[in-house]
Amino acid sequence: MIYFVQTLVGGLGMGAVYALVAMGFSIVYRTMGLVNFAHADVVMIGAFLAATLFVTMHLPFVVALVGAIVVTGALGFAIERILRPLESKDLNLMLLGTIGFGIMLQSAAILVWGSFGIAVPTPIPNIPLDVGGVIVTTYQLLVLGVSAAAMFMLYVFLDRTKLGTAMQAAAMDRSAATAMGVNVASSNAMAFVIGSAMAALAGALVGPLLYVNPTLGVYVGIKGFAAAILGGFGSIPGAIIGGLIFGLIEAFAAGPLSAYSELLTFVVFALAMMVRQTGIFGERTVDRA
Amino acid sequence: MIRIGFGKPLLVVLLLLLPFVLDSYTIHVAILIMLFAIVAVGLSLVMGFAGQVNLAQAAFFGAGAYASALLTTTYGWNPWLAAVAAVVATCVVALAVAVPALRVQSHYLGIVSLGLAVAFSSLLSNSDVTGGASGISQVPPLSLPGLNLGENHDYYYLVALALILVVGFALFVANTTLGRRFKAMRDDVLAASASGIEIRYYRLTAFVLAGLVGGVAGVLYAHNARYVSPDTFGLGVMFLLLAMVIIGGQDSVWGAVTGAVLLITARNLLTGVQAFQQLAYGGLIVGTVVFAPRGLAGAAMDLRRRFDLPWPSIPIPWTRRRLAPPPLVLDPADPALEGVALRIDNLSKRFKGVQALDGVSLEVRAGEIHGVIGPNGSGKTTLFNVISGIYRPSGGRVAIWRHDVTGQPSFRMSRLGVARTFQNLRLFRQLTVLENVMVALDRDPARAHIRYFIAPWVVLHKERVRRARALEMLEEFDLVDVADEIAVNLSYGRQRRLEITRALAAQPTILLLDEPAAGLNAAEQEGLKAMIRRIRDGGVTVVVIEHNMSLVMNICQRLTVFAHGKVIAAGTPSEVSSDAAVIEAYLGRGAAEPVTAAL
Repeated sequence: MIYFVQTLVGGLGMGAVYALVAMGFSIVYRTMGLVNFAHADVVMIGAFLAATLFVTMHLPFVVALVGAIVVTGALGFAIERILRPLESKDLNLMLLGTIGFGIMLQSAAILVWGSFGIAVPTPIPNIPLDVGGVIVTTYQLLVLGVSAAAMFMLYVFLDRTKLGTAMQAAAMDRSAATAMGVNVASSNAMAFVIGSAMAALAGALVGPLLYVNPTLGVYVGIKGFAAAILGGFGSIPGAIIGGLIFGLIEAFAAGPLSAYSELLTFVVFALAMMVRQTGIFGERTVDRA
Repeated sequence: MIRIGFGKPLLVVLLLLLPFVLDSYTIHVAILIMLFAIVAVGLSLVMGFAGQVNLAQAAFFGAGAYASALLTTTYGWNPWLAAVAAVVATCVVALAVAVPALRVQSHYLGIVSLGLAVAFSSLLSNSDVTGGASGISQVPPLSLPGLNLGENHDYYYLVALALILVVGFALFVANTTLGRRFKAMRDDVLAASASGIEIRYYRLTAFVLAGLVGGVAGVLYAHNARYVSPDTFGLGVMFLLLAMVIIGGQDSVWGAVTGAVLLITARNLLTGVQAFQQLAYGGLIVGTVVFAPRGLAGAAMDLRRRFDLPWPSIPIPWTRRRLAPPPLVLDPADPALEGVALRIDNLSKRFKGVQALDGVSLEVRAGEIHGVIGPNGSGKTTLFNVISGIYRPSGGRVAIWRHDVTGQPSFRMSRLGVARTFQNLRLFRQLTVLENVMVALDRDPARAHIRYFIAPWVVLHKERVRRARALEMLEEFDLVDVADEIAVNLSYGRQRRLEITRALAAQPTILLLDEPAAGLNAAEQEGLKAMIRRIRDGGVTVVVIEHNMSLVMNICQRLTVFAHGKVIAAGTPSEVSSDAAVIEAYLGRGAAEPVTAAL
């Protein structure tokens, strides 16, 4: 039982990070229909930027975080701008284009930071706490807290502010929203900045948990991406649930069968997709004849 | 007089002569290029032709290599036996990756296959069976009497032979029925299944072909390098393959080969600056999809069109026997085609909370043109979707020619003789006009593709017959001048005409037309009327949904009127137009009185 709870708690930390990645992916998708395979590598770039500012330049963690968010925001904005002509044309081409960007970002990271990566210390003293026999570290709590706060803020922004509502309207019906006076272009840009900010936040938080290196995108980003799809493409609560599920599957698979944990995770994911393509919270869209 | 191309034989001769002028290192690079070309051709088949976003192609390559390496080292199998087993094993792996593709497509399939590929890499580097990160070494070489396959010079010929076979087979597939069905499915899934293509089967086949060639390349790699390790088959290689296929041109076999030649050559010229290479091919992918989505092959084709360049060929004095295509199978006097063509009984269709069809019954008599009219959203198109098998009905029955066909899938309805067009035009956009018609003319069941292996000449013969018949149909419907044009480049009116021609090519006994006059000008509408009458006179029963009243009143013998998912009236045009319920549905409550009074 203790083992079960301990694994559960362990899975929640990474699950929260996956959920952040998934949310960034989802908000971009639902606002503009861009399926951004490069998101995984934007997370990695965010992690590197935060690590550089925090470890190498000795800036406070919060400053590093903000710096990473600003730069990745600009990056996301540029990706959208270049691929915009494909948005209305061909989803598969756009998908391949974002994969192209992912490859470029990964190699750019190797060029700038080398292929070895950076070990990041935790920004707060990482003390293991014993809660009824289950070990929880303070940094794990910080990750959970910051993730939860970010998710709550995003929810409040989308649901309770005028700008957020306008963005949702733009997502549902572009032309109707334009007719109501919503600036769809700026709403897209906003979505991208928020999406990339989520990526940078996830990258910065995961740095001390893993080891920041150019293949981070493959391991964190792809799972976050898969989590978004598992939860329901474009759904914010879906992203959170999907992320947590991924964290938990991984944690439970890691113990007894560590060599097969990735295989198990993705086979479970593939099966889940076959049972319900639209994910947990997704809506079924009908291909109209 | 026919012309025989000499481009391909010339390439083969050059390929075979190459080792005489190359030093041993360059031969090694050439082997690598050929192996990658084989894998890339596989990716082109599954992704470019069949439209399946497969990001696990590098894993297929790896599966073949690892299976062969494991069987020959750990289990001590004979290398050739192991090679065959490894290729079979790779096909099984490909089939496993294909299973999700039956349900999910596009980006969903992309992330699922990418996930499985990541899982495969992680399995290779973590499992003890595969030797972990250090891989498997001392893989024995293949052997053949008289050859030293441990040496690159002799091995080159083995790989060249494999490349020639794979490229030849891929070109054969690409230019005949299987490739055309792949492209039709890629361009429009609904229209493809309404043309009789069983989508599931073709998705699986595409993956298995990709696995087959990936496995062959993997085996050849393992016995040449004599060593396999996880990073040879990781995501980096997957992206390299993707770049080859996209830069070369996704739906082009030659494009994939060209991509492999360019990128492997560049990679070997630029060793030591690996990150820059990766940056460059990432950039090339982005540039290609944004500016030249059809890649080098597309650019080459445009050039050829613009300057009218022929393929290199020599004329030889030999006349090919002219083919007299068989007539269409319909005989208007056939006793089976009498009485009631289509009977709908108490049909209903519910979508979440919406009753789109509510107890609909109607009867279409053999040989008539039957109109279905009604306000927007009254369930007309839903009716067509249920009849043609795109939706399963929630209740009720559909019968054609007195046979119950309720709930049959779309491809089977096409094979049973029900063809349709779509309200918002669903052509195979990137196929030529001729190919669009040939897809529908092709009535062979999927299992007939076994001929690709056992009787390829039959495939070629059928192809010639089909082409002749398609040209004849294009002639009949005044589209022959644009036979080789890409469908999407046609004017709107001609696209509509092509869609009807395509539906007719499926040799239906019942043709469903969904708003065929939408967007046509007056002259085109007259042409359409004549066309529909001609189709009916050829023995086909026509059901047409239309908003254009003058057209409906003019050509239809009987009408069925829909409102709110129900049939509110049926009868001859004159009966229907004086029906109070119809006038009310169109003009609103209370309108009936004054309108009749005014008449």
